[in-house]
Amino acid sequence: MTTVQPDTAATRSPDGDLIIDATEVVKTYDTGKVQVRALRGVTLPVRRGEMVAIMGPSGCGKTTLLNCLSGLDDIDSGSVLIDGVDLDTLGDARRTEFRARRMGFVFQLYNLLPVLSAVENVELPLLVSGVSARDARAKAESSLEQVHLIDWASHKPAELSGGQRQRVTIARALVNKPAIVWADEPTGDLDSTNAGEILDLMVDMNSRFAQTFVLVTHDPNIANRMHRIIYMTDGLIVDEKKVRDFD
Amino acid sequence: MDSLFGVSMTLIMYVLLGALAVSLSVVLYVVVRNRVMFLLGVRNMPRRVARTVLIVVGLMLSTLIISAAFTTGDTVDRSLTNTVFTLLGHVDEVVQLSGEEGGAPNEISSTIPQEANEKLRAAVEAAADSNIDGYLPMLFEQVPIINPESRLSEPSATFVGLDADSLEGFPDIISATTGEALDIGSLAADEAFLNKSAADALAAEPGDRVQVFVQLQPHEFTIVDIVEDRFTTGVGSFEVPEGLVTRLDTLQQIFERPGEVSIIAISNRGGVRDGVGLTDDVIDSFTSIIAAEGLTRDGGGIGLTVNDIKRELVEDAELAGNVMATFFLVFGLFSIAAGVLLIIMIFSMLAAERKSELGMARAIGTKRGHLVQMFLSEGMAYNVLSAMVGAGLGILVSFGMMLIMARIFSEFGLNIQPHVTLRSMVVSYSLGVVLTFATVTFASWRVSNLNIVRAIRDIPEPVGQRMGWRWLATGLAALALGGLLIDLGLNGDARYPFDIGLNGNTKFPFALGSSMMFIGTAIVLRFVGLPERAVFTTLSVALLTLWGFLAGDRLEFLFGELEGDVEMFFLSGIVMIAASTFVLVYNMDIVLPVISRFGGLFSGILPAVRTAVAYPMADRFRTGMTLAMISLVIFALTMMSTMNLNFNRLFLTDAARGGWDVIALENLNNPIVDLAAELEESGSSAPDSFRAVGRVSLGARSSVRQVEDDQTEFDSYPVFGVDAGFVDGGLVPLSTRARGYDSDEAVWQAMKTRDDVAVVDHFSTESGGFFGDESFHISGIDSEAEAFDPVMLEIGEPLSGATRQVEVIGVIELGASAAFFGIYVPQETFDLVYDEPLFTRHLVSLQDPDESKAVAREIESSLFTFGVQSESLKQLVEDEQQLFRNFFLLMQGFMGLGLFVGIAAVGVIAFRTVVERRQQIGMLRAIGYKRSTVALSFMLESSFVTLLAIGSGVGLAIWLSYFLITSDQFPTAEAGYVIPWLQIAVFSTFAFVASLLMTFIPARQAASVSIAEALRYE
Repeated sequence: MTTVQPDTAATRSPDGDLIIDATEVVKTYDTGKVQVRALRGVTLPVRRGEMVAIMGPSGCGKTTLLNCLSGLDDIDSGSVLIDGVDLDTLGDARRTEFRARRMGFVFQLYNLLPVLSAVENVELPLLVSGVSARDARAKAESSLEQVHLIDWASHKPAELSGGQRQRVTIARALVNKPAIVWADEPTGDLDSTNAGEILDLMVDMNSRFAQTFVLVTHDPNIANRMHRIIYMTDGLIVDEKKVRDFD
Repeated sequence: MDSLFGVSMTLIMYVLLGALAVSLSVVLYVVVRNRVMFLLGVRNMPRRVARTVLIVVGLMLSTLIISAAFTTGDTVDRSLTNTVFTLLGHVDEVVQLSGEEGGAPNEISSTIPQEANEKLRAAVEAAADSNIDGYLPMLFEQVPIINPESRLSEPSATFVGLDADSLEGFPDIISATTGEALDIGSLAADEAFLNKSAADALAAEPGDRVQVFVQLQPHEFTIVDIVEDRFTTGVGSFEVPEGLVTRLDTLQQIFERPGEVSIIAISNRGGVRDGVGLTDDVIDSFTSIIAAEGLTRDGGGIGLTVNDIKRELVEDAELAGNVMATFFLVFGLFSIAAGVLLIIMIFSMLAAERKSELGMARAIGTKRGHLVQMFLSEGMAYNVLSAMVGAGLGILVSFGMMLIMARIFSEFGLNIQPHVTLRSMVVSYSLGVVLTFATVTFASWRVSNLNIVRAIRDIPEPVGQRMGWRWLATGLAALALGGLLIDLGLNGDARYPFDIGLNGNTKFPFALGSSMMFIGTAIVLRFVGLPERAVFTTLSVALLTLWGFLAGDRLEFLFGELEGDVEMFFLSGIVMIAASTFVLVYNMDIVLPVISRFGGLFSGILPAVRTAVAYPMADRFRTGMTLAMISLVIFALTMMSTMNLNFNRLFLTDAARGGWDVIALENLNNPIVDLAAELEESGSSAPDSFRAVGRVSLGARSSVRQVEDDQTEFDSYPVFGVDAGFVDGGLVPLSTRARGYDSDEAVWQAMKTRDDVAVVDHFSTESGGFFGDESFHISGIDSEAEAFDPVMLEIGEPLSGATRQVEVIGVIELGASAAFFGIYVPQETFDLVYDEPLFTRHLVSLQDPDESKAVAREIESSLFTFGVQSESLKQLVEDEQQLFRNFFLLMQGFMGLGLFVGIAAVGVIAFRTVVERRQQIGMLRAIGYKRSTVALSFMLESSFVTLLAIGSGVGLAIWLSYFLITSDQFPTAEAGYVIPWLQIAVFSTFAFVASLLMTFIPARQAASVSIAEALRYE
C-alpha cells in the first residue's frame, strides 16, 4: 500500500495559518489480548477556516484520528498542535478547559443530555467556561435561533426529531464560537433531506464565521461539500483530494 | 420465645418452611423445565461484582432485622428464664396465705401460724406424694443492716429464716467462695450467711460482725460465709437483692413470731429445671390436702393457697421474650418496608440495564413467563445467599444490642446471656427468603412487561399515557374496598355476614379505607384523562392533610371517636411517605430548579448542579423509590424521638412530682408516725428545710373492682391511704375531675372531708396498649375529658374480707402517674380496710427543692436504725426516665439499621448510573466538563435526593407528631410541643454523610471514564 502524506507546504496558507498541525501521530489500543494500531503515523495539517472531510472504510481509524486531534484521546507518539498549542503537554484539566473554549463537537448519535431541554443542552459549554447563567442563556437562545430551533428551546431531546436533535447539537457546538468544530458522522443517523439541511447549516456557519470543520463521514455527498477530503486506510492517510478552493 | 402475636412459633415455623419449600420448588421447576432461563439469570451475578455485593447487602437487610428481633426475644427469654431458675433454685411452688399471691418476699406482710404449718406438714408427710421431695417453711423480714467494719449500711435487706430440719430437697445455700452447699443447722443463734449482693453493698467478709436492727434495737450476727444470691438467701426482688439467712427459730425469736412462717417452699421431684414439669400434679396434690385439712378460707380455715411461683415466672420470662421480639419486629417494619422497595428497585434497574437483551429475547420467541423465570432465578440466587448472611448478621446485631441492654438495665442485676434457638433461625431465614421471593416475583412480573421494539431500540417508555381498562377496574375495586373498610371502621362488622372482631370506631380500617378511596379516585381520574401531575399532587396533599387531622382526632366531630394503637404508627408512616413521595416526584420541577438557581450563585459549580438536578427530575420512579426508602426510616426515627421527648417532658416537670421533693420509705418493722419528729429526736436539722410532709400508705394485699361494671372478681391493684399532710402539702395535678369539682384543689380537699372518695392514676383509666392489658381497668372515664360522671369502686383486702366503696372524683395526670401510681383514698377509709400498711411513704416538700438530694441523704443516715430508705424524688423520676430514654435510643439504633437500605439504594443507583450514562459522561467531558465537575455532579445528585428524603421524612414526622402531641386526646396537649433537633440532626447527618460516601466510588469511576471510549460506547 502506498502511503500518501498530505503536502504540508501545499496546504499551508500563504501566511502559514495552520490551526491543526498533526505530525506522525501514532495510536495503539491494547485490548489485553491483542494490540490494535489504530493510527500508524498520521500527519495532517489543516488551515484555519478550512472544511476537511475524513473518509475511509470502517475501522480505518477515522474516529480515532478525530479523537486524537481534538484531544479527547491521548496519542502514543507524534504531536498535535492546535493553534500552536501542543495538547500532549497539557494536563487533563487544562486540556479540558482548552477544549471548552476552542472546540465544538457534533456526534452521530447527537449525544444530547436527555434530561435537559434544548436550550439547557446548548448552554452547557458556556457554563463550564464560566459564562454567567444569564449570558449563557442569551447566547444559547441566539445559537438556537441560528439553527432555526428557537421555538423548540424548552423541548427535551426526546420530543425532537432526529434532524432537530442534530441541529441542537450544532447549536451547542457553535455556541461558544469555537475555532474548530469536530463532527463524527454528523448525518449518519439522518435521512437525506435532514442530512442536507445539516450540511447546509455547517457550510453556512463556516462561510459566516470562518470556523474550521473536520468531519468524519462515509457519505461522498457530504464530503464533496468540504474543501478537502482525506482518505484513510488501516490507520494511515492514503490519499487526499481537493474539492473546492479555500482561500 | 415461643409465640409471636399470640401464634405459636412452632406453627409459624412449619408454615414458613412450607412457603420456603414452595419458593424453592418454583426455582427448581425453572432449573428442570427451562434450564436456559435459569442459567441466563444466574450468569448475570458475576458480571459486576461490586453491584452484586450491594444487591446482596440490600436483600439481606430485611432478614437481618427479622433475625435480630427474634434473637433479641430468645436472649431475653433465656436470660430471664435462667435468672428465674438460678434464683429460685429448687423452689417450685410456695404455699402462702390467700391474697399474698405473686408478692415478692419483701412484700409479704402476714404469716402462717405454727398450727397450720404443722397440720399441713403432717398431712403432706402422710400423703407421701413421690412428686414432692422438699417442704421448707421460711420466714421473711425486712431489716436495716450495718457493717461496722466497713461503716457501710443497707437500709432494707431481706432477713430469711429457714427450718434447718427441712432443707432436704433444697440444696440452695451455696457458698460463694467454695461452691459447696452449706448447712443452716450448723449456725449458732448469732450467726448468719450473707448473700453476695448484701456482701457487696456492705463490703462484708466472712467473720465480720454485722448489726441488724429490729424495733430499733441492734442485733449482732457473725457472718459465717458469703452465699450465692437465691430466693432462699434473701433475694426479695430485682430491686432488693440484698439478704441474709439464718435458722428459722433464731429469726422467729428475734421478731417474736414463735412458730410463724411467711411461706412454705415446695420442691418437686427432680432438679432445678425439670421439676417444673410436675407443677400441675403437685398443685393438685397440695390443693386437695389444704382443702382436706380445712385450711382454705372457704373451709373456715386461715386461707392457705399453693402457687406455681417458678412456672409463673418462667412463663413471664417467655412472655417478656415474646414482647421484646414483637416490639423490635414492629418497629423494624419500616426498615423491612424500605428493604422491599429496594428489592423492587434493584430488579427494575437490572431490567432497565438489560432492556435491549430482553427485547431481543422476546423478539426471537421468549415468552413473558420466561423472562419472569429468568429474573426469578437470579433473584432467588441472590436471595438464598443474602438471607443466610442476613440471619447470621442479625444474631450479631442482636447480641450487640443485648450487651447495651445489659448495661442499661444493669441495676436490675439481669445476667444477659446471648442465645438463639434453631427455631428462630429457621423462621428468620424462611421469612427473609419468602418475603424476598414474593417481592422478586412481583418485580420480575413488572419488568417482564415490556414493548419489544422499544426495548430493542432502548427507547424510553412514553409518558402521560391514559390508563387502560384494567386500571379502571383496579381503581373501582380500590374505591369499593375503601368504602367497605371505612364502614367497618366506623360501624363494625355486625351487619356483614362475616365476623372479624371489629366493633366499630376503629381507626385502622377507617384510615386504610380512606386512603384506598383516595388512591381509587386518583386512578379513576387518570382514566378519564385528567393530567397525571394535577391528580396525584392534589390527592396526595389531601391524603397528607387527612392523616394529619386523623392523628390528632380533629375529625372527631365528623366520624366520632376512633380508637387506634401502635399499628397506626406503621400505617401512617407508609401512607404519608407514599403521598409525600408522589407530591415530590411530580413537583420536583418546582423544587429542584430553586436549587439550580442557588447553584447559579457559584458559577464554578453551576454546570455540575445543572446536571445533578436534571437527572433525578427525569427518572421519577428511581428518585421516588430512593426518596421513599430513606424517608420511611427517617420518618420513623424522627417520630420516635419526638414522641419520646415530648412524653419524657411530661414526667420530668415539677408538677409531675405533685410538689414533693423527697420520698422516705419506712421499714415495715419500724413504723414512723411523724417523720419530722423522729428526725428531730435523732438530732437531725433536716426538718428545718421542710415546707410540708405528707404520708402515703400502701395497703397489703390491696385489690379493687369497679362496682358499676359488674366485676365480681377483685383485681390486684395498689391502694394508698393519704393523710391530711399529703392533701395540704402538695398538689398532684389531675387530668380530669368528677362533675361538681371545679379545681384540683377541690378534689384533694374532698379527700380530707369525705371518706368515700378516691383519686386514681391515669393508667387505670386506659385499656388495651401495645400487647393488650389484662390488669385492672376502670371503664367509663375519659381521662382527657373536661369532667366525668362519678364512678364507684370497691377496694378490698382479701385476707380479712374487708371492703369499702369509694367514688372516683379525680384522675391524676399522665405525667404525675409514674410517681403517683395507684388508687388514692382518705387515710380514714384506708384504715377501715387495711389493718396495717405494707409500707408507708413519707413525702417531703422542701423550701429549696434543689437540696433534695442532700436532704434525702440526711434523712436516710439520721433514721438508719429505722431502716428508712430516702431518695430525691426528682432524681428518682429522672433516673427512671433516663432508663426509658436509653432503651428508646437503643430502639432508634435498631430502627436506624433501615438507613442502610436507603444508603444501599443510593449506592446501587450511583453504580448503575455510571454505566448508564457512560456516553453522556464522555460527551460532557468532550464539551468541557472537568473530571472534578463530573464527580461533583454525581455527588450533588445523591445529595439532593438524600436531602429531599431527609426533609420529607423529618417534615412528615413533625407534621404528624405535632397533630398528635397538641391534640386534646393526648395528655401532652398542654405541655406544648418540642422537637428533638439535636437527635434529628445526628441521624440526618449520618444518613447524608453515609450516602455521600456510598456515591464516592461511583463518582470517581464516572470522573475517570475515558472520553473516546465512552463516546464509542453504546
